[in-house]
Amino acid sequence: MMYYLRIWIAGARYSVARTLMFRGDFFVWALVELFWMAVNLMMISVIYGHTNSVAGWSEYQMVLLIGTSMLVQRLLMGFFWSSLFELGRNIRSGDFDFFLAQPGHPLFMASTRKLDPDSLLNSFVAIGIVVFAAHRLHLHPTAVDLLTYAILILAGLVIHYSLLVMTMSLTFWLTSAQGVEGSYFSLADFSRLPREALRGVARVIFVWILPVVVVSNTPARTLLHGFQPLWSLWILVVAAGWLLLAVLIFNSGLRRYSSASS
Amino acid sequence: MLAVVLKYRQAFLIGLQSNLVYRWNFAVRGFFSLFRLAVVFLLWRAAYASAPHIGGFDFAQTLTYFIVLILLQFFIGAFNEDYQISEEIRNGLINQFLLKPINYFLYRLTIFASARVVSGALILVPLLVCLPFLRHAIVLPHEFWRVGLGLPAMAMAALIQFTIAYCFGMLTFWFLEIQGFVILSMAFESILGGQLFPLDLLPPRIFHAAQFLPFYYQMYFPAAILTGRIAREAVAPGLTLQAAWLAILLGVAQLLWRRGLRRHTAVGG
Repeated sequence: MMYYLRIWIAGARYSVARTLMFRGDFFVWALVELFWMAVNLMMISVIYGHTNSVAGWSEYQMVLLIGTSMLVQRLLMGFFWSSLFELGRNIRSGDFDFFLAQPGHPLFMASTRKLDPDSLLNSFVAIGIVVFAAHRLHLHPTAVDLLTYAILILAGLVIHYSLLVMTMSLTFWLTSAQGVEGSYFSLADFSRLPREALRGVARVIFVWILPVVVVSNTPARTLLHGFQPLWSLWILVVAAGWLLLAVLIFNSGLRRYSSASS
Repeated sequence: MLAVVLKYRQAFLIGLQSNLVYRWNFAVRGFFSLFRLAVVFLLWRAAYASAPHIGGFDFAQTLTYFIVLILLQFFIGAFNEDYQISEEIRNGLINQFLLKPINYFLYRLTIFASARVVSGALILVPLLVCLPFLRHAIVLPHEFWRVGLGLPAMAMAALIQFTIAYCFGMLTFWFLEIQGFVILSMAFESILGGQLFPLDLLPPRIFHAAQFLPFYYQMYFPAAILTGRIAREAVAPGLTLQAAWLAILLGVAQLLWRRGLRRHTAVGG
């Protein structure tokens, strides 16, 4: 464990040094992400300009939900996105060989090579949005609620990470999987919806089979209505299950990997 | 004249072939845009549950707007033309065009047109599969003039989309990486081009201001004509402003090309 932590810290130091070298890039990307977050909030404000409730959620409850969904996504982008995005390209080009030669499990080495400090910075903006919404809703969460919220966010991060690993692992089979990352974003869009907006088949698919909706809804509801023991337990079980599945899929893809000729 | 047409006809046919190679990418993209449509459907259905009319339109009309938007995206939208142009400049592939009697803008425009033929045909497949479920949700106005005026608006919107992408590609002459600019511009387009919500739902002042920006004419304007969100008397001034923006953007594209070439250094053979 300590050994992997040391490897991770070395990678993080490299990423920070790299960011300091390309400061202009850092500001442009931080601005881009910030702008996209504002776009999402604007959409909510326009919809609530014409209605008071969406699936029983008021405007600031919805802002809290979107802020929560952004927080999970910013953390994913900050810690894993760049590395996993490159994973797909490296499998295709054969550069993935280098990861096999590194002193750790290839999935760990391939998913933690780079950090994105701009996304990590924007995760504080997402926390700011959640705090702002909680303030407008006059919420006073207890320490237990806050701790549960933090644990659920981490579990959400594990679920999103697993989904992304599975999507990227498709490259082992498809070779040219340009644009597969788009499928992850299409799924992530659902995390901005309130659970109550889904009925029938959609509810079965996006609440139970692909847990993208509960990932953001359960922590948001914990702040709004207090600790939700059953849903929280469900998220933890799902996080463990999806991570296991992602590792299995990655490993079986790895067995197919045959490098590329030079 | 005929020789010019034949020249670009060849480029079009080659573009058609090379885009057919990427048919699965377009098909996958089309399939995932249905997921986006599902999110739109669920969100707006929930919003309409407490208000039967939003901005004077019912749920079916709003859903029709989003379906038409997806169709337009695949038929007239710029996908990654900016990135392709940027790569051609960075890798020195434009050098070959500088030595031949071919206009780079027209060449790229021809390739863009061929790509839209392929992507447009491919989006029809998933939409036709979903038609039995969507049939009751599609409400198109019955006025024939909407098609007559919608088509030129679509043509100009396609040219505006392409020219903006071309201008971003041209920035490669000055900057190594243009991805940040492109994604920032996508954020503007998605909000001011009406991709997240119909622009008429904006507060009146902002809506009025948006009509003077090019983003309005990229997607929302033709979609609004076709789906009945714009009155007839507002179409003619809209078409005029759209043509004005197109002229400005074409001018900027030409300027960037000329200035960019002065900075360009062709290396190797």
